[in-house]
Amino acid sequence: MTQLDHGKFSKMTTTFHTLLALDVFVLFFSGYSLMFNDELWWMVGLMGGASGVSAVHRVAGGGLLALIVFWMLMMVTTDTGRGNFREILPSKGDFDAFIQDVQFLLGNVDERHPNARQFAGGTADEIPLLTYIGKGVVFIFAAELTLLSISGVLIWSKTGVISLLATKTAAAAFVTFHGLLGVIMLMGVIFHIFEHGFHPALYPVEVKAFIPRSMIPEEHDDSTEGTGIERLELAPSWNMASTVVGAMAVIGIVSVLLGSLFDEGYPVPRELAIGGGPTDVLLTVGINMGVFVLLLGLVLQMYGNLLRVRWQKQLEQEASEPTAAADGGRVESDD
Amino acid sequence: MSYREHLPETEGYPRAAIAINAVIAIAVTALILWWASEFAVFYENLFRIQPVAEGANAGVGSDWTSGNQIAWLDFLIAITHAADVLMGVFILFMMFLHWGAFRRLAARMRQPGDSGSSAVAADGGRVDDEASAGTDGDTAADGGERA
Ligand code: HEM
Ligand code: HEM
Repeated sequence: MTQLDHGKFSKMTTTFHTLLALDVFVLFFSGYSLMFNDELWWMVGLMGGASGVSAVHRVAGGGLLALIVFWMLMMVTTDTGRGNFREILPSKGDFDAFIQDVQFLLGNVDERHPNARQFAGGTADEIPLLTYIGKGVVFIFAAELTLLSISGVLIWSKTGVISLLATKTAAAAFVTFHGLLGVIMLMGVIFHIFEHGFHPALYPVEVKAFIPRSMIPEEHDDSTEGTGIERLELAPSWNMASTVVGAMAVIGIVSVLLGSLFDEGYPVPRELAIGGGPTDVLLTVGINMGVFVLLLGLVLQMYGNLLRVRWQKQLEQEASEPTAAADGGRVESDD
Repeated sequence: MSYREHLPETEGYPRAAIAINAVIAIAVTALILWWASEFAVFYENLFRIQPVAEGANAGVGSDWTSGNQIAWLDFLIAITHAADVLMGVFILFMMFLHWGAFRRLAARMRQPGDSGSSAVAADGGRVDDEASAGTDGDTAADGGERA
């Protein structure tokens, strides 16, 4: 057993996930260096100042629109899409899985619920397409991205909103509203990165979202009870890495939340507050930690794709060598 | 299994020292560069600069002072703040829940160095010798594709 647990994403989904993630990362970096410009001033600089940031954000915004429309079309027009839609509806099992996770944490039960298992191991047949977190992620991200796209389009042209909302301040308030909507997405993705990068059996990255299921052997060893996780060896760096990144993720989430409450974007969405938002050293450090976790996510994303390329090469190589199975393995034909 | 075995130079230094020094070095560099750029935080040139509506410069931002009078927009921002806080608390809870569950799962795994196995799987994962002895080659060319 290796990190290569059972695949769940199809080829299209892996590619889509990668493109979506890349695009959303760019939207995060450009959008939040506008909202948190006093904490992320260096990022504003990197993207070419105020006008550069707005330009980058708009280009990526256009990309997101295209991706969302594409995905919606896929979901409605294909059988797989419609079939998968049924798979993501929440069930009682998902609620149970959540309760059982709490019990697992408290030490009252010894296994995670099948609907919570990221690492399937020998229990692959029991686990559904998505974990309960996965379903939540699909719903929350989909709702968020839709709202962000709609509000984003509305603020595309400032003169447009100004004429729509009567005053400049009101137009700016609408920009703030758009940015505040994205805060949930931002916090959610920080968690998403921790969840899929730091599972001890799958660390440093869960490859499920990168290696399509067509490339993963579905065969598994049924001789053991449960997932068989106790036979895996923990990576030496896991303890340190998961502690540091876990702490940074928590601090990052708290900081962007506080930042969004204090900063509220510019300039003063609801009332006029002369004097500026509090730019505190702690908040600056905290928000930058959150951004660091995002950058790490970007790296893991690249790494996941690198693993896919290498894996693909290996499969091709084995396919071209007639002796591939001569080392004691079996070559199986599929159904 | 480590590539470090081929790099004896790096073997003698404790990991913690390398990590801490790297962080300090980056922090110091950042401070120096910040100092060199005269602590210039240049958000002044953003579109969203602070409006100047009072004092000597009264008038520059005076068109902001009319404020946002639109009740529904006000309300929209207020509920979005509330949603952010609610979801934030929930996401933090999920963070701790998973962090804790991951620690429990990790404790159940074989600890690093427990075994003589040093095989590396194609994807960089570690292979348990006994467990995979018979199944090494079962990556069929077709990858076991399912419809
Ligand atoms: C993940 C998705 C997105 C996130 C997290 C996000 C976030 C943000 C943030 C934080 C701001 C700054 C708000 C402020 O200054 O208070 C912003 C501004 C803006 N966003 Fe987005 N956004 C997203 C998607 C989009 C999309 C899809 C579009 C367009 C179709 C868009 C268009 C804009 C525009 C035009 C601005 C104003 C930029 C300026 O005035 O310079 N955004 N966004
Ligand atoms: C902004 C960026 C991202 C977005 C919008 C995004 C979105 C999603 C969504 C909607 C899902 C399906 C629901 C789920 O299973 O959780 C998913 C799954 C997944 N994501 Fe992401 N993702 C992003 C970044 C990343 C990154 C950086 C990684 C790697 C560290 C990653 C790893 C995964 C994995 C492994 C799964 C599969 C989980 C499963 O099979 O159940 N994602 N992602």
